[in-house]
Amino acid sequence: MPALDPGTRAPHYVIVGNSIAGIEAAITIRNRDSAAKITVISYEHAHPFARVSLMYLFCGQLSLKDTQFYPEDLYDRMRFNRISDRVTTVDAAAGTLTLQSGTVVSWDKLLLAVGSSARRMPWPGAYEESAEAPSKFMHHFVTLPDFRALDAAAKPGMSVAVIGGGLIGVEAAEVLHLRGLKTHFLVREPWYFPVALDQAEAEVVAEHVRHHGLDCRTDTPIDGFERRGGRVVLKGREELVVDLVVGAIGVVPATSFLAGSGIDVNPQSGGIETKANLESTTAPGVFAAGDCAQVTWPDGARRPEQIWYTSRDQGRAAGAAMLGDDVNYRRGTWYNSAKFFDVEYTTAGYIPFARPKHGAGGTADGDGWQTWYQQVPGAAVTQRIVCRHGVVKGFNGLGSRWNHQVWMRWIHERRPLEWVLAHMNEARFDEEFTKPFAVLPSATLTPGA
Amino acid sequence: MQSGLLSTYQNPTQNRNILAWVLSAVLMGFYVDLYFYDHLDAVAKLLHLPSKWTFYGLLYTLGMCVGGYFMLKKHGNSRYHMLRTVSLIAVQSILGFLLPLALDFAGRPSYYFSYFFPLKYDILFPSSLKDMPVVVALWFIFGSLFGLPLLVYFKGKRTYCSWICGCGGLAETFGDPWRHLSNKSDKAWRIEQVSIYAVLALVFTMFGLIIGDAYAADGSALREVAHHTKSFYSFAIGSVFSGVLGTGLYPLMGTRVWCRFGCPMAALLGLVQKFGRFRISVKKDMCISCGNCSTYCEMGIDVRAYAMANEDIKRASCVGCGMCAHVCPRGVLKLETSRDPGPHGNIQVWTVDL
Repeated sequence: MPALDPGTRAPHYVIVGNSIAGIEAAITIRNRDSAAKITVISYEHAHPFARVSLMYLFCGQLSLKDTQFYPEDLYDRMRFNRISDRVTTVDAAAGTLTLQSGTVVSWDKLLLAVGSSARRMPWPGAYEESAEAPSKFMHHFVTLPDFRALDAAAKPGMSVAVIGGGLIGVEAAEVLHLRGLKTHFLVREPWYFPVALDQAEAEVVAEHVRHHGLDCRTDTPIDGFERRGGRVVLKGREELVVDLVVGAIGVVPATSFLAGSGIDVNPQSGGIETKANLESTTAPGVFAAGDCAQVTWPDGARRPEQIWYTSRDQGRAAGAAMLGDDVNYRRGTWYNSAKFFDVEYTTAGYIPFARPKHGAGGTADGDGWQTWYQQVPGAAVTQRIVCRHGVVKGFNGLGSRWNHQVWMRWIHERRPLEWVLAHMNEARFDEEFTKPFAVLPSATLTPGA
Repeated sequence: MQSGLLSTYQNPTQNRNILAWVLSAVLMGFYVDLYFYDHLDAVAKLLHLPSKWTFYGLLYTLGMCVGGYFMLKKHGNSRYHMLRTVSLIAVQSILGFLLPLALDFAGRPSYYFSYFFPLKYDILFPSSLKDMPVVVALWFIFGSLFGLPLLVYFKGKRTYCSWICGCGGLAETFGDPWRHLSNKSDKAWRIEQVSIYAVLALVFTMFGLIIGDAYAADGSALREVAHHTKSFYSFAIGSVFSGVLGTGLYPLMGTRVWCRFGCPMAALLGLVQKFGRFRISVKKDMCISCGNCSTYCEMGIDVRAYAMANEDIKRASCVGCGMCAHVCPRGVLKLETSRDPGPHGNIQVWTVDL
C-alpha cells in the first residue's frame, strides 16, 4: 500500500460495489470526513437499488427507480466520484486496480463490496449450447443482467423449472407463475427451506404454493440436462420437459477476479478472508463487506453472511474501520424475515436445522430441549417455539407478523414458555382487526428441537 | 399482507403514457363541463334525476363501488382494507347520495352529513346555519369543532380521510390503480407544506370576512371583499383545485393531489394528528429497502427512508390508508394508536445462551 501522507492530500477511498454494503460504507466515510476523496465503482446500475426487489421489477409491481433506496442526487450530495465499469484485476501490493476499460485506479484504502452471483448448476448439460437450439435456456435471478435475460426470455404459456429450495427460488417461481408460465418448483431436499423451516412448517408452505396452482415437488434429485426438440429435458427420477430453467441453488461471492491480487480468498466459499475489523487478512488497507466477506458467525464458523441487513451493518463497520476506528464486527443473534407467496415468515433466536415432523430427531435432541408448535386449522399460520429446560430460545412464525425485537428480548430475559405463551400478543405486528394469537387445543409440546 | 402481486407497471393506463394523458384530459373535461356548463342537466333529465348534481352523485357512487370491488380483489384479504373500503362506500352511498336524494324528493332541504368545515367551507356560515333545523346545525358545529378533532387525536386522521370522506373515498377506490404516481421528492413535500396551509389560511380569512359581513352595513367595503373572496375560493379552490385538478390528475400525479396539496380539512386534522396518538411503528432493523411502501404511498411520504432509519412515522399528511404496512413484504410497518408505545429501544442480543 502506498504511504499515506496526511499532511499533503486527502486520502482516496475506493469502494467497489454500490449496493447496500458499499454505499453504507461510503456514506459512513463521508459523514465523518468531508475532505476525503471517495470513488464508487459499479457496473450493474448507476444508483444503489434493492436487489431484493428483482421479483417486483419482474412482475411490474415496482419500477427500477422505485427500488433505488436513496435519492437520485446522493452521489452529488455526498460528492462521490462515480465510475460505471467493471474491475478486472486488483494489485494489493501496488495499491491499484484495473478497470475493463483499461483505466488504472489507485487507492489509499479499498473496500471490496462486490456481492455475489448465482451458484452455477453443477449438473451435466446445464450451460451447453446446442446447434439445434442455440438460445440460452439456463437462467438465474440474482443480478440486474440475470433479471433482464429472464425478463426477455420468459413468455406466457412457456413452461419453466425453478430449481432450488430457498428464497430466490420461491420468489422466482411466484413471479414466473404470475406471468403465466407453467411453473415447476423443484426442491432437492426432503422438504422446502430446511435451513429455516421444519417439516411441518415446510408442508404448510408447499401446500400454499400448490394452492396457487404451481407444481411444487420436494425430494427431487437432478441428474443433468438434455436438449430435445428446442426444449430442455431435466433428467432425474423422472423426466421433465420445459422451455426454461431457473437455477436458484444459492449464491457465491463474486470474487474470481481477485485471483493473484494478493488478497486471500477462501477456496471453499469464495469469501474474502477478513479480520474482526473486516480488513483483509493478507492485504493491509483492503477491506471487504457484504456477501463477499468471510466473517465469523456466532457459532464460531467462518462463512459469508449473505443477508441484506448484515451487509448494511458490515458496510457501516467497514467504513468506520477504513477511517481508522478500532472495529470489531459481530452480527449478534439470528433474526430474519421472508415471504413465501402470501405467507410471511419471521424468525428470531436459536432455531435448529432440519427438524423432521414427528418428535425428536433434529440437531438438538434430549438434554432438556423441547419444541412447542401449533398450526391454525385451515390457514397457513403456524408458530414454533424452541425451549430448553422450559426457557424460550427461538421462535418461528408463519402467516402472521411478529416483532422480532420483542422475541429477542424474551430470549434475553430467559422467559419461561408458559409466560411467553400468555404474552404472545405483545409481540404481534399484524394490521389492526387481525385475529389475536391464542393457544389452540391442538398445540403440541414435544421433546427435541 | 398483500395477496398476489400487482402488475401496476404493466398496465398502460397506470404508466403515465399517452393513454394516461388522454384519460386525464377526459376527466378534466368532464369536471369543466360539470362545473361551468349545463349539458349534464339534459342527461339528468333523461334519467329523471332532479339535476346534474344528482347525476354526478350517481356516477361518483358507482365509480366508488366498481373501483372498490377491484381494490378489494387486490387487497381485500386484509380486514383493515375490507372494513375501511366498505365504510367509505357505505358513507358515500347513504350519506353522500341516497339520503340527500330522499330529502330532495320529499321536498326537504338536503344535507351531506359526512362533510364538515373546513372541507365544506360554507356549512358554518351564519347564513347557512340560520336555515338549518337545530339538530342539523348542532351536528355540523359539534362534528367540525369537537367530534372529528377528538377522533383524530385518538385514532388518527385516517378516521376521516380513509374511512368517511367522499374525496378520500374516490381516491381509495376508483383511484387505487394510480396511487403509486404520487411524487416522493423533497421538493414536492416543500410545495405541499406551503400550498396546503395557504388554502387553510384562505379558508379562515374567508370565514372571518363572512362573519364580519354578517355585522356589516349594506354596501360596505367589507361586504364587497367577502363576496369576492367567496367567489374566488368557490371557483379556484372548490371547482378547479378540488374537482378539475384533484380528480383529473389521478392518472398523472396520483390520487391524493387535492388531499395532499389543497384540502384545508386535511391540513387542520393533520395538525391534530401531529400532536395525537397515531403513528406508524417501524420494526427495528428489519427493512430490506425494497421500495414498496414509498411507491404505494398516495401521499408521497418516503416511508422507506423512515423504515431504513428505524424511525417511527408521525407525519401530518399521512391519511392512514395502511397500504405501506399492507404491501411491506417483511411486515416492518404497523399503524398504531396505543398510548404506551411499549419498549421501543433496540435490543441487541449477541448470542442465545443455550
